[in-house]
Amino acid sequence: MITAEVDLKEMDTIILEIKGKVKQLREMSGGMQCVDRNCERILASLKMLELNICDVIEFLD
Amino acid sequence: MQVKGIDQYWNPVLETLSPEKLRALQFKKFKRVVEWGYQNSKLYRRLYDEAGFHPQDLKTFADISKVPTLQKEDYRTAQAKDPYPYGDSLCVPLERITEYHQTSGTTGQPVYQPDTWQDWEWWSESWAYILWAQGFRNTDRVFIPFGYNVFVAYWAGHYACEKVGCEVVPGGILNTEERLLKIKELKATAIMATPTYVLSMAAACRNKLGMEAGEDLNVQRILCAGEPGASVPATKKRMEDAWKAKVYDHVGATEIGGWSFECSAQKGLHINEAFFLVELVDLETGEPIEETGKPGKIIITALDREAQPCIRFDSKDVSMWGPPCECGRTFRLLDGGIHGRVDHITKVKGVLFSPVSVEEVVRSLPQLGDEYELIVSKKGDTDIITLKVELLPEAGTPEEVEPELSRQLRLKTNLAYKIEFHPFGSLPRYEIKAKRFKDLRKEH
Repeated sequence: MITAEVDLKEMDTIILEIKGKVKQLREMSGGMQCVDRNCERILASLKMLELNICDVIEFLD
Repeated sequence: MQVKGIDQYWNPVLETLSPEKLRALQFKKFKRVVEWGYQNSKLYRRLYDEAGFHPQDLKTFADISKVPTLQKEDYRTAQAKDPYPYGDSLCVPLERITEYHQTSGTTGQPVYQPDTWQDWEWWSESWAYILWAQGFRNTDRVFIPFGYNVFVAYWAGHYACEKVGCEVVPGGILNTEERLLKIKELKATAIMATPTYVLSMAAACRNKLGMEAGEDLNVQRILCAGEPGASVPATKKRMEDAWKAKVYDHVGATEIGGWSFECSAQKGLHINEAFFLVELVDLETGEPIEETGKPGKIIITALDREAQPCIRFDSKDVSMWGPPCECGRTFRLLDGGIHGRVDHITKVKGVLFSPVSVEEVVRSLPQLGDEYELIVSKKGDTDIITLKVELLPEAGTPEEVEPELSRQLRLKTNLAYKIEFHPFGSLPRYEIKAKRFKDLRKEH
């Protein structure tokens, strides 16, 4: 069984930063679909990282 | 922090979280999805308002049982309204829907299932937990012998394989023999299908192609869904013997998602408790069941769906809690998988009868084929159960097999059967869900 030192709090911070950046990108697209639709997909993937990492942070020691 | 089991679990943090912390996480997410449903769906707002419930009433985990349950019929009623075809059950603007699927309609009008792209990512994410636990890796070539269509079935499995890194071969429009030949040609290492079709493919391999699935193909693991067979020991053994592969169960539903899975320890069905909340309630009183070994009905919540949330859905599936699993996951186990459905468990001759218990008997007798049919009818005031089975070629005569079959059926179900032996290959074959049980008493 592999064990690793993982900084989950830092990961949480980075996930939320990326989310903020992607939203910023979408807001500045001027409605370009190639930007909007790809941002939508990135945000959906980021949501999975939130479910896997960010949601649980408050319950960890 | 030190995270153990990086290689063993899809998410080693969530899958080994202590039960207390899991409950806390579930409660946080439950409150979030209830609030989402109440604010965005007329279906939930009406359901809760009529029951005098408000999301702010959720103060502790125990309050969850105060939330009204949702029936499949509630979806149907809500979907009869605008916007077409999802009506009042929809929580997002129609323009955000990117995926359409529907239920099979076995129990009535199909329920339509809208998903946003985020929901679809969530589908493949929850399936990734399943696949990883069953040993699917980026070294696998997975053949999916599924008629890609309106049913969600292995669509989510396909996308999850991609997420895990497997190479996916879509075996959609091919017939069974063509699929088997493609599995052989590509040296596929895994497949996904219903237990019925897994057995049917093995039979076709032997009878139509002159090959043995376990000898001539390279399949090492099989993910089963759609029927309880992979948790029925005799059926699992038949499949594992025929394919010389590990067979794993998975239970999900269109309205709910991929909520449970068997891990490599094969001790029962784990619930993905990070993504779903499963409550087991007494079949008669509706009281929560926490102890192991007592059958109950499953009430289930998908904690993270956005387009059409599934909150305290009455699945009508019956199971019971099992002991902790040796795999190290803290996600609870359902012992023996799904034991049946509340609407299939019926009284016959005054005895409580679950059709799935017959499968264990039929599949444990080597003289019998994989297929069978069960029909409950009434003659006067007397219930009659007819069991149709197939005798394998050169497996003896009906007179030789019937005494042992009758004895085992009586032992397992406490009932006597009218047994009909049919020629091998004459009972219906199925590719998706088999329909083997008919209760004709309900038609009168």
